[in-house]
Amino acid sequence: MAKKTLGRRTLLRGILGGAAVNMSLPLLNVFLNENGNAYADGSRIPPRFGTYFWGLGLTDTPAGGTRWVPSTTGFDYEITPELQAIAALKHKVSVFSGFRAIPDTRPNLVHWSGHASILSGIAPGTSSRFEGATLDTRVADAIGGATRFKVLDIDASISRRPVSYSTRTGTTFASPDQSPLALYQRLFGDGFQDPNSDNWAPDPAVMLRQSVLSAVTEQRQSLMRSVGHDDQIKLEQYFTSLREMENQLAVQLQRPEPREACVVPGAPDELERAGSVDRVNQNTQALARLLAMGLACDQSRVFNFIHTAGISETYIAGQSKIYHQITHDEPTDAQQGYQLETSKLASQVMDGFGLFLNELDAIKEGDGTLLDNCLVFALSDTGYAKIHSLENIPMMLVGGAGGRHKAGQHIHAPGESVTRVSLTAMQLAGAPVGEFGAGSMRTARPITDVMA
Amino acid sequence: MKPTRLLVLWLALSPLLSVPAFAQGAATPNVPVADAATAVVVAVRRLSEPQYRQSIADIFGSDINIDARFEPELRENGLRALGSATLSLTSAGFEQYFNLSQEIARQVLVPTNGRLATPCAAAGTAVFDADCAQQFLAHYGELLFRRPLTAEEMQSRLVMAESGTQRAGSFQTGMQMALSSLLSAPDFLFRLERAEPDPAQNGEWRLDAYSRASRLSFLLWNSTPDAELLAAANSGALLTAAGLQAQVDRLGASPRLGNGIEAFLVDMMQIDGFDSMIKDATIYPKFNQLVADSAEQQMIRTLVDHLVVQARDYREIFTTRDTFLNRSLAAVYQVPFVSDEEWAPYTFPESAQRAGIFSQVGFLSLYAHPGSSSPTVRGVKLHEIFLCEHTPEPPADVDFSSVVDSDAGTSRDRLLDHMNNPGCIVCHQRSDPPGLALEHFDGLGQPRRYENGQLIDVSADLFGAKFVGAPGLGEFLYNDPRTSSCLVRNVYAYGVARMPGAAERSYINAQIEQFAGNGYRVPELFRQMALTPDFFSVVMPEGAPLTATELADAGQ
Repeated sequence: MAKKTLGRRTLLRGILGGAAVNMSLPLLNVFLNENGNAYADGSRIPPRFGTYFWGLGLTDTPAGGTRWVPSTTGFDYEITPELQAIAALKHKVSVFSGFRAIPDTRPNLVHWSGHASILSGIAPGTSSRFEGATLDTRVADAIGGATRFKVLDIDASISRRPVSYSTRTGTTFASPDQSPLALYQRLFGDGFQDPNSDNWAPDPAVMLRQSVLSAVTEQRQSLMRSVGHDDQIKLEQYFTSLREMENQLAVQLQRPEPREACVVPGAPDELERAGSVDRVNQNTQALARLLAMGLACDQSRVFNFIHTAGISETYIAGQSKIYHQITHDEPTDAQQGYQLETSKLASQVMDGFGLFLNELDAIKEGDGTLLDNCLVFALSDTGYAKIHSLENIPMMLVGGAGGRHKAGQHIHAPGESVTRVSLTAMQLAGAPVGEFGAGSMRTARPITDVMA
Repeated sequence: MKPTRLLVLWLALSPLLSVPAFAQGAATPNVPVADAATAVVVAVRRLSEPQYRQSIADIFGSDINIDARFEPELRENGLRALGSATLSLTSAGFEQYFNLSQEIARQVLVPTNGRLATPCAAAGTAVFDADCAQQFLAHYGELLFRRPLTAEEMQSRLVMAESGTQRAGSFQTGMQMALSSLLSAPDFLFRLERAEPDPAQNGEWRLDAYSRASRLSFLLWNSTPDAELLAAANSGALLTAAGLQAQVDRLGASPRLGNGIEAFLVDMMQIDGFDSMIKDATIYPKFNQLVADSAEQQMIRTLVDHLVVQARDYREIFTTRDTFLNRSLAAVYQVPFVSDEEWAPYTFPESAQRAGIFSQVGFLSLYAHPGSSSPTVRGVKLHEIFLCEHTPEPPADVDFSSVVDSDAGTSRDRLLDHMNNPGCIVCHQRSDPPGLALEHFDGLGQPRRYENGQLIDVSADLFGAKFVGAPGLGEFLYNDPRTSSCLVRNVYAYGVARMPGAAERSYINAQIEQFAGNGYRVPELFRQMALTPDFFSVVMPEGAPLTATELADAGQ
């Protein structure tokens, strides 16, 4: 396919016939510092980053044993019962065990402090809020600017409320797409440009839409002068969202780079709403398939994916108790030494993760797969869920990060702060972050064992 | 009325209407109270979905179609109104509002019957008509921003409309762009409450007249101020006691007061989440989305009929057996439905034990698990919603390892097993008893007397107060003075987006007394509160420019 030769600015000027247009241009791929994989035609494959969250951790035992921590460390680690779902991909998965969230003088807010610490680096004082921006926003600022969507937020959990743990302000959390149809429309509906199409032409209506936003932007300064501190943060978020919209429009005015892995999918069927774990896993798979193609078609490079919420409402179909209740109520089996039902549910929840990864690994890209060009940071809210433990919170890094991640290792570091893994993830994903976290969780030490 | 017709009408009438001076193109805008140079924004409250929808319907006509997914709202201290003051807009949310702004502008300025229904003579042409554009933007700008546009705001839209007209070769398109830009602005999507130096008290601040108009309008009608209310703000009349009284009388006498009170009740009673309710299909085969939607409607109909239409004593919502049913709900309640109407009034017999709003399927199914009831969740919600008592976070260090899975037949017995645990009892002895009184209703709210073959005991003991079943719980709440003080505090917090603090204690107490004196009638409470100066009080936010001089300096 012929590469474009016309400069974007020239192009825009030509189309507008000299009319004054206020237009922000996104970061071009070539400006990005990448050391990733390459397409067959030699052009670079962009790095992608995403978080994957599941609720209620994995199963430990009161005696100190575990159903998930491998007994060996380093490469080719042991596959434990609750890690079965990743067995086939374990050479692409690094498992982190023993890490803990350290709230210092803050309370352990159940099903909240754990992932708040991992994602924002700070143990919050109250539930429903974080006290810092989440790490995905920092990665998105570094690598997410060149695509239509800076971040994709997806919630597969089928719960009462939309679930998202991505925030810039600490109070306003992202509003995720929750069904395959909604995600499909967002990615491949209005505004989608097939990167492999031969008939690309900029849409003049998009240019008019851009200038609609310019008058709003002009107000920013005078408004900011007259507000208090908290409202300033809120309005700053508003204007950030506005800029992302401007960026989205600017991207639509550029001829997209061809993406050989991109095959525009058909519209998916809407799934019936039901919150049992088999349905959540089905939803996870359907959403992951769309997400994977959205990444392959370069509609976004950063995502947040929720499988189940911190206080997971999922359950086994036909059972009256939900998973969350079972983790607390179920006694430890005297003979086996662990909670049987809880561990069974944990395995099923991990099956969802396996399905998710398979979708990313199914798309060929360059010499490898889409997953090889991604870094997926998977995490949960708690260690041993029965006692809301902040110790031994399961975390994983998956995918090659374009060659930067020395994947396939088990890192066991009892007592170390979870933020070390967060920092590692951000650095592998290409965010210019030197240190992360506050108080006892402040760290400037990534886990170099997994960094190439 | 069709928006196109509305515009034609507006055109015909606009010379007759009292259009603000600025709208008529005066050289100096007459903005007596919302002067950007001296005003401080004291609150930024995101419009709720119903407020957004109602504002658009009131400004452009109810036939404007709004098809979008709105951002999730946040409940703080029991109210979404409080959450609205801490929320911003995410990028996905802004994207929705931006797309919606264009869709609405397209519908407002739509070609009809081959003829362009844009505002003025130039309609349908490729020629930019500056006077027409200015009039149109001044009129709708004031309604959308709930105050007149500043000179800069007007100028930037005029420039945009003109260049848009030229580029697209269509005045209509240019005007759509300008309107879309107003609909995407923070001044529309958020309620920006502004304070100005109080001329009566040196160094003090007061809420400006337009922000007062908004507080009144959103409290009483849950919508944007209408032209008459804005005119009262513009003239300064709203800042006088007589002017305020006149507007409260007018708004309070309108049937739209019902919308305002309903919106408040839906917020306070947490009547939401029915769209995404999950029930296990094998355990509750009767559940479907129609049941969920009907249950929501039933709660709202019961409350509005009782508190607004009949203006009865607030406390009776805890004891009333009167409600409304439709066919799908009747099946869940297991009572016959004989009416030909979609909805019919219904009074539960005493034997049904359905007394009080909390004994309806809506409350009972919302506060339960997908496959079972939950006395704890119901109890926590009863305390939170009706008594304003929030249950603390569960302590993290509770030793759950001593909790064993009870094989007891009923929820009560299972919960009593928990009660042996000193870490659990602190909260559960408070949260569980009211919920246990509702155990004759399963996780969908269906009647039952047995659980796992064992007779269910619905007696409860809440710190010495003993009651039996839903009727007993209702009597208990009816007689508890905390319910009415909770309501009064919630109305205040809902209106001003701030919990009443220590400084407002005597004010709130006086309001509670007046509420009781008026027979606990909610419409009276709304009117009485809207007349008090405290309802318009201002708390300067941290980090705000403190003085008019500082503001002016910062603006240099």
